[in-house]
Amino acid sequence: MDIVNNVKSSSHRIRNSIATIIGIIVLAGCARNAPQDTWQPRGHNASVINHLQWIIFPMAGVVGVLVFAFATYTFWKFKDRGQPIPSQSHGKPIVEIILTIIPALILTVVGVFTFRGIFELANTEDTQMVINVTGQQWWWEYDYPAQADQGITQPIITSGQLVIPVGTKILLRETSRDVIHSYWIPALNGKKDAVPGRINLLRLQADKPGLFAGQCTEFCGLSHANMRMEAIALSKEDFAKWVAGQQKAYTSPADGTLAKEGEGVFLNQCIRCHQVNGLKKADGTPALAAPDENVYAGAVPNLSHLMSRNTFAGAKFDLLNKSCRKDVWGASSDAIGSKYLAGVSESCLNQTDLRAWLRNAPAMKPMYSDPKKLGPSGGKYRGMPNLGLTETDIDKLVAYLLTLK
Amino acid sequence: MFTPGSKYFFGLTGLSLITAILYMFLVNPSDLGAVALLGLAASGALIGAMALFTRDGDVYTDEEAVAANAVGGSPSFWPIVFAFGAATVLTGLATVSAVFILGIAVLVGGGVEWTIQNWADGASSDHEFNKFARTRAISAIEFPGLAAVGLGVIAFFFSRIVLSVSKQSGPIIFIVVAAAILTVGVLIATKPFMKGTVTVVVAVLAVVTLATAGIIAAMSGERHELAVASAEDHYDAANRECGAEASAHYDHLANNTVSLRSAVTATIFVKDGKVYAEAIGMKTKVDTITISRSNAISVMFRNLDQEQHRLVVHLGSAKVAATGVVEKVGTCTQLTGKNQEQVMTLKIPKPAAANEPYSFTVPGATGEIKLVVP
Repeated sequence: MDIVNNVKSSSHRIRNSIATIIGIIVLAGCARNAPQDTWQPRGHNASVINHLQWIIFPMAGVVGVLVFAFATYTFWKFKDRGQPIPSQSHGKPIVEIILTIIPALILTVVGVFTFRGIFELANTEDTQMVINVTGQQWWWEYDYPAQADQGITQPIITSGQLVIPVGTKILLRETSRDVIHSYWIPALNGKKDAVPGRINLLRLQADKPGLFAGQCTEFCGLSHANMRMEAIALSKEDFAKWVAGQQKAYTSPADGTLAKEGEGVFLNQCIRCHQVNGLKKADGTPALAAPDENVYAGAVPNLSHLMSRNTFAGAKFDLLNKSCRKDVWGASSDAIGSKYLAGVSESCLNQTDLRAWLRNAPAMKPMYSDPKKLGPSGGKYRGMPNLGLTETDIDKLVAYLLTLK
Repeated sequence: MFTPGSKYFFGLTGLSLITAILYMFLVNPSDLGAVALLGLAASGALIGAMALFTRDGDVYTDEEAVAANAVGGSPSFWPIVFAFGAATVLTGLATVSAVFILGIAVLVGGGVEWTIQNWADGASSDHEFNKFARTRAISAIEFPGLAAVGLGVIAFFFSRIVLSVSKQSGPIIFIVVAAAILTVGVLIATKPFMKGTVTVVVAVLAVVTLATAGIIAAMSGERHELAVASAEDHYDAANRECGAEASAHYDHLANNTVSLRSAVTATIFVKDGKVYAEAIGMKTKVDTITISRSNAISVMFRNLDQEQHRLVVHLGSAKVAATGVVEKVGTCTQLTGKNQEQVMTLKIPKPAAANEPYSFTVPGATGEIKLVVP
């Protein structure tokens, strides 16, 4: 009797669990605060996709329900109850013709809207701004070629966060340095693969200022799940301020400060891979990073103006602490520009994650950066190794990085 | 004949072999995947042969088995071929890959023939039926195989002939031979009652003539300009001369058109003696091309001038590790004529030094396109 009760309660538990999981999945569809929801477009290109799915999903849903209902009815109605096998006949031309014409009509309707959407998304003729996007295990690099009509007189390079002006037709020229990645910010457009040796084009346009989250959607290795991106749309005035900030010349910290000592640590350690534009060595010559000598893909994030960004390590970690981040992400479209442009101050810095990263980066994000296991990559790292920095060095570096605005 | 079980495993063997060959060509011949696929093929062949031998477990009756085995097997040289193939494979492993491939071909051919022969010998107690069964089973493999080898031999000898004669004579020979084959073929086809011997004699004569000509051509070697090109290696960086004048080596055999289109980040033109550039997505002409560091990108060069031009990229200077001498770094395309194009692929690991900016120029034309690596 106990065994029977146990079996019953076990099957009840399974049923309840399945019902709960289904319930959660269904309720998740109702979430309003879902930054990667394809049903909440925030720009023209994403709206084109959204309109298309509003046409196709209901049609597919109706067809799916009808097919399942008909199949279920058939299985139930004609299940084996010991009745004789009905007489067999070879097809019914009328039924076959109807069952060919109806799907053809449905697919024609779907096809018309789909092709219209595809051609609209593929249009790049009226591009107003170009940004090069390069994927690499496991972060995204953005470089803005000089474009006088956008106020960009010198190329800008940044990573993790794509900054764009609202209402501007942006053309991303995507490629990759190592393996295939896929760029996807659902609120602004669909996915586009970044393929080594090819340049793929993706258009983005944001209607209002805001922060939009994205995720690499092509499995690209160990830290694929940690390869995130964020797009920040700023008003044209704020974007101009951001451009001016990015084109600002490098200023070395004042002598005798902790930050100045941090610059020395940077020149001894970090410059092997990380570039800070304008940084000079003690002899006055430009300090040029050589990531090609140390990293498999030949590049690492350029840290010029690091503290103008809100994230680091492939947008996996926030440079802002929780309350400051909430302040930026929760800001209205009118206020987000000024909050974002304020950058990262000492009081807002997420010291915990940044220090932990500097202390032992591989412990924070899985990467192929164990010096003993670099055989397959010819002795080069895929990600930041543990540099063995002392706590004093970390203090100095944090102070220095805070000056990179 | 083949049993259902053996068909399945032989099919698996064939498919694995094809996949392995494609994998070796397309991915990497020494990759673990190729070894795994060849292992699968070998396993499939072994199990297939066992299934065939045991008739999928559908054994003879005792009487049938005794009767079938009472007939002695016919003399066969296939075990010798198989052994020769195995020896050739081992020799190939120690010498050159061509010998190894030849050994594999002989090994597989000998093995298939031996397997079929062995199966046919035990098919029944009727010697004649066994011969018929063997012919029927093996013909589907032998004829296409021999045809492929024959075509390969013809193509090889014909290629030797065309490579040894002048550039102008090659097409003429090709047309004459093709016309002769067509004429003879038509004549034979219009005489359906002609003796088969005549056809055979004609075919043998043709093959002997081709083989003789091919051997003579192979012995005399390739024509002069091909031999020179092969010896000098026109595409070697050492032979690259990037001035306005024609290079003695590098500018030979340029294709002047490229199929690469998808990875072109910018196109540089020269027209009326002036250089200008267009970049993807940019509506107006650009005077600066920006590329990210350590990223392989391609730049198309299109010559719209009457004169021949080449595109040159200047990438600063660097110390040569072996000599310690500081030398200019750069590369160039081959000379290209009017309306022709060349592509240049670059991967630049570092930004330019302030005093030596990177740039593209076209010798003999005015203007410069700046190249920026942020």
